[in-house]
Amino acid sequence: MMENKNTQFKVNADGPLEISGEFELFDTSGEIITRQGPIYLCRCGNSKDKPFCDGSHKASDFSG
Amino acid sequence: MEDPRDRQYTNGEITVFWKPSKCIHATTCFRELIEVFNPGRRPWVNMEGAPTRRIIEVVKKCPTQALEFKYNREMDQDEIESNNPVVAEETPETLNRKEEKEEENQTRPTRINLMKDGPIVVEGDFKVIGPEGNTLKSMLMTSFCRCGGSKSMPFCDGTHRKIGFSEKD
Ligand code: FES
Ligand code: FES
Repeated sequence: MMENKNTQFKVNADGPLEISGEFELFDTSGEIITRQGPIYLCRCGNSKDKPFCDGSHKASDFSG
Repeated sequence: MEDPRDRQYTNGEITVFWKPSKCIHATTCFRELIEVFNPGRRPWVNMEGAPTRRIIEVVKKCPTQALEFKYNREMDQDEIESNNPVVAEETPETLNRKEEKEEENQTRPTRINLMKDGPIVVEGDFKVIGPEGNTLKSMLMTSFCRCGGSKSMPFCDGTHRKIGFSEKD
């Protein structure tokens, strides 16, 4: 099997989802946004820069 | 021949059949209706997640025969009764890799799809690492919560719809 530079999803405690390795990120309409990691996607729902984390999780006391 | 991995799910009115061997991961089902078809959850099909009419609509959009449905009133009683929840269920994500559709899936990078006002859906060949640096698992498909409200973090459990999550604000 081809080595698929295994994509890794690291769930940061009370913070964003950190994605590294090879991947394609598509927006809600199916357009590619980026292939380039590492990226940090917002998990708390409060970022002003979605889908990316902008640090708002701290102020919002997100836990999860 | 019956595939032992085939599954069926019912809400008493209709029964949805899932045939993993036919699934090409078109992602139509969970793009349209993550409340019912959620690869991050067990069982991955939740028949209580939407009205029958809506489930039928989405099942009909499956580009292969991986998803089909029947009205229970048109089925034999014992057909319906073989419906019990199963313990070790396959989901799109646990499908045997050997059965993945050859090179395409092996060489294509992992695809990360943002659902509008919903989760991050991932398909490919990837690892999920938990907050403590522990590997949660190797997966082929899952959905991560991005509304902040899931009760089964880090995965989406459908809560985003209940709390009216909007990615706009
Ligand atoms: S996780 Fe950082 S802003 Fe939401
Ligand atoms: S995105 Fe679905 S529960 Fe949060």
